[in-house]
Amino acid sequence: MKLYQRTIRELHQMLIDREISSVELTDAVLNQIDLVGDKTKAYLLVTRELALRQAQAADERLRAKRDVRPLTGIPIALKDVLCVRDVASTAGSKILGGFTPPYSATVVERLEGEGAVFLGKTNCDEFAMGSSNENSGYWPVHNPWSLDRVPGGSSGGSAAAVASGEAIAALGSDTGGSIRQPAALTGIVGMKPTYGRVSRYGLIAFASSLDQIGPMTRDVADGALLLQAIAGNDPRDSTSSSRPVPDYLATLTDGVKGMRLGVPKEYFVAGMEPAVEQSIRDAIRLLEQQGASIEEVSLPHSDVALPAYYIIAPAEASSNLARYDGTRYGFQAGGGRNLIEEYMLTRQQGFGAEVKRRIMLGTYALSSGYYDAYYLQAQKVRTLIIEDFKKAFEKVDALLGATSPTAAFELGAKTQDPVAMYLNDIITIPANLGNVCGISVPCGLVDGLPIGLQVIAPGFGEEVALRVAYAFEAATEFHRARSPLMGAAA
Amino acid sequence: MRALEAVTRYEVVVGLEVHAQILTQSKMFCGCSTDYLTAPPNANTCPVCLGLPGSLPVINRRAVEATIRTALALNCEIPEFSKFDRKNYFYPDLPKGYQISQYDLPFSRNGRLEFDLNGEAKRCGITRVHLEEDTGKLLHEGAIHEAQASLVNFNRAGVPLMEIVSEPDLRSADEAREYVMRLRAILQYIGVNGGDMESGQLRCDANVSLRPAGQTEYGTKVEVKNMNSFRAIHRAIEFEIGRQTEVLDAGGRLAQETRGWNDARGLTVSQRSKEYAEDYRYFPEPDLPPLDVSREWVAQIRAGLPELPAARRERFMTRFGLSPYDASLLTSSKTMAEFFEETVRLGAPAKAAANWILGDFSRLLNADRKEIDEASIKPVHLQQLISLIDSGAITGKMAKQTFDAMYRAPDPGPALEAARGSTQISGDAELDRIVVQVIAENAKSVADFKAGKGQALKFLIGQGMKISKGRANPQRLDALLREKIS
Amino acid sequence: MPEPESELSSREVEHVARLARLGITPEEVTRYRDQLRNILHHIEALNRADTSKVPATAHPLEERNVMREDRREPSLPAEAALRNAPSRDDSYFKVKAIQE
Ligand SMILES: [Mg+2]
Ligand SMILES: [Zn+2]
Repeated sequence: MKLYQRTIRELHQMLIDREISSVELTDAVLNQIDLVGDKTKAYLLVTRELALRQAQAADERLRAKRDVRPLTGIPIALKDVLCVRDVASTAGSKILGGFTPPYSATVVERLEGEGAVFLGKTNCDEFAMGSSNENSGYWPVHNPWSLDRVPGGSSGGSAAAVASGEAIAALGSDTGGSIRQPAALTGIVGMKPTYGRVSRYGLIAFASSLDQIGPMTRDVADGALLLQAIAGNDPRDSTSSSRPVPDYLATLTDGVKGMRLGVPKEYFVAGMEPAVEQSIRDAIRLLEQQGASIEEVSLPHSDVALPAYYIIAPAEASSNLARYDGTRYGFQAGGGRNLIEEYMLTRQQGFGAEVKRRIMLGTYALSSGYYDAYYLQAQKVRTLIIEDFKKAFEKVDALLGATSPTAAFELGAKTQDPVAMYLNDIITIPANLGNVCGISVPCGLVDGLPIGLQVIAPGFGEEVALRVAYAFEAATEFHRARSPLMGAAA
Repeated sequence: MRALEAVTRYEVVVGLEVHAQILTQSKMFCGCSTDYLTAPPNANTCPVCLGLPGSLPVINRRAVEATIRTALALNCEIPEFSKFDRKNYFYPDLPKGYQISQYDLPFSRNGRLEFDLNGEAKRCGITRVHLEEDTGKLLHEGAIHEAQASLVNFNRAGVPLMEIVSEPDLRSADEAREYVMRLRAILQYIGVNGGDMESGQLRCDANVSLRPAGQTEYGTKVEVKNMNSFRAIHRAIEFEIGRQTEVLDAGGRLAQETRGWNDARGLTVSQRSKEYAEDYRYFPEPDLPPLDVSREWVAQIRAGLPELPAARRERFMTRFGLSPYDASLLTSSKTMAEFFEETVRLGAPAKAAANWILGDFSRLLNADRKEIDEASIKPVHLQQLISLIDSGAITGKMAKQTFDAMYRAPDPGPALEAARGSTQISGDAELDRIVVQVIAENAKSVADFKAGKGQALKFLIGQGMKISKGRANPQRLDALLREKIS
Repeated sequence: MPEPESELSSREVEHVARLARLGITPEEVTRYRDQLRNILHHIEALNRADTSKVPATAHPLEERNVMREDRREPSLPAEAALRNAPSRDDSYFKVKAIQE
């Protein structure tokens, strides 16, 4: 088996056994990027020198057996919404072209502390707005399983990198499904932690009350490891929780025997591919065979989650993106006769169509005369969605459903119809609004394309979601399937 | 004069919005220094106050407490729940494209400020005191209207700022000025604001409107900005009253607009013809959890409040027998009130101390645009000068000259000593006679001192100074008295 | 101003674009108007939920009173603060004249 095909844990063992060095491992992954990078277009920037420097430093640590952590020497990709000091950070947008932050995100600092190796910045939908990665201000990403298909979005670059062997693991961000959906569409594991579990400091904001950083990995245990490294309170993020972080690996293998798992009937949405539905039903049955009791539950306000999301997220985004005016950093159009004109030209040319659409939608929803009808109403609906989850979790320990109603679709298939694109996130959005956590784990192939099972657990119940996902994974072989670009696993 | 006429036919309605920078070490939402006046441009900035992508705000506790402290000093209600909101607008001095401020749930509401004007009691409602962040500063290359470019310095961006909004309860330029003076005194008393209007620590906008006498609904209001002294506030409001009266008298209609005060030309100029009404799209700041303002917390802040000007004024009247007018003036500035009290504590009669401070001293300070604590004369100097006069050692005329000399000198000591020395008795022969007389006339105090009461010696020295009409050298007197009595 | 339930007009699209400081061509006005109308049409579903007795959730957080002490921390070196500036003059950010 090639090094770039392996999991964090396997590689960690090899590193501490001195079977391989981090430089060798990093070289192997960088070679794979050289080999298939043109096909996936997963990266916006490969930080080759930084990676090799970090790999050497990691090897020092490993050699001296000094402060060796589970991620020491492991090559990881970062979604380009995460700021890394002195490394160009664009959020997939032209408007941030040339911007190099003088500071790093907290998660980046934590991974640096672990001795991880940064391969580069992965492509994404502009400001994380999208479900197919076709909204990148630079270029679309191609699915390693089928290059004419989308990898999902907005963390499509991170997903494609992990699925193609261009990274051992990656960080993504999830505002309405942007980790889980691309993970499902590329056959990897992706987790959206509970809002407040991971610091957002240094995460270029899309929607501040929904954004959350999370791990994208080859399997569930790797996800638990990576989450462990980044979770916890950060004094620089006032919205990060002060709750202690449990030991996610300690309960990972406890199994689902005796657990109560709920199946929300609303999650079998119209438009779901029959093959996807069949795989999900099979997955549920499998967990039942593992000893879980399954019951149908109802989340009655699921149908209004999508409209609420498409008010709240654009409203917050319209404000968060006001700072991109071309005066302090990033792109400046030039040619305006005065400052207002200059602002308008810069933002007209610097933002892509989807971002502009959402800025307008959000501005409209907050503007005088419309606030109550749209924004306030959406916030009330958000309360109902939170209540729905609370009630469901009185009866069950976790919820099961599909991550995405379909497998990866063809590039260009939905770009002309924003609403059709928005419907991709219909089963992932409620978890963001309801402030719970969710994980997507591979649960099958439909016509050679991966699909994902979504496990949703209560707020700050990441260990529950991980445990259920692990039990499923341990009983199946889906996570061992490798994309054609990565090559078949041993 | 036009303003005076207006009073008869129109009622003047003024409400004030005062922005006061809070005295903190660090900014509202980051650890950068608040010293924006002396630092090189953009030296006190960080990802947070520059609004760089991904940065997040963290609330400065001291700024919150200063806001609540102010609200309590202004008799406001403090709700148990509060939050921050975003006020969205584009301006080059606003790095995030929104200002973190408070909209519908500010830290306080429904307060009042009471003051007196020419002996008449006034009361102005306080709508709210809320907390927000200051903006950066723009520097224009060339004249503002012809300027091709502006330069932006973000050192001030994020400095904690309180906005104190009054009800439209003020009825003249005099009242408005007095309100701001009183408010400034309170902010200084409680230590939350530096009070300097010229440097922008304290800024005032006025909403001015007129209505026909007897009418209850308000007229069209005009917002006047850019007044950076008490004098400017007064002149600008007077001007607006005159201007609005002319428009109304001519049967015209006033435009609801923002006008800037031009101090050099002595008039207000329309700043914004509002093509679009401002639409700030306020919404709750998602980056900051809300605040539960517990009653214990409020009680703790209240317990830390010092004596406020109104209470101190009462005390000056009852304790020192000052007139309401003198007491008002003395308490209008914290440093002046403290100077007065210290002078009296050192032994000066209250009335004399008040007269000096409010008379010659204030005249000289005003001419130099200085605060009393910036003068070289300290309470001890003033007390000694007063005691020289009281003992008859120097005449009133000499005292005025001496005070002037003391004020001008970096160290007032020599001027004071010169006045004293010109008449001082240091020869032991003459002093001996005085000491003998004191001992003879104050048998009881002599006995007291012998019995160990140290206070009695002070009294005896005082008697000696009196006999010598203040000309005796008190140190020599002290030594001789001790010698003779023991 | 039109009623919230009436269809989004081109003028409103222009107004919103200006509020958001987004330059927009006449063709884009029409395109965005039609797309936003369609999106808003789907968003109308929000009114299906009975929210008459429901408080709004602005913050999903359980945290309250998160504050820092009033302590200075090092600022960025001025050069780091300014290095991304598209136009600058000495240690200042430089912007076009404001003229409205
Ligand atoms: Mg304000
Ligand atoms: Zn700062």
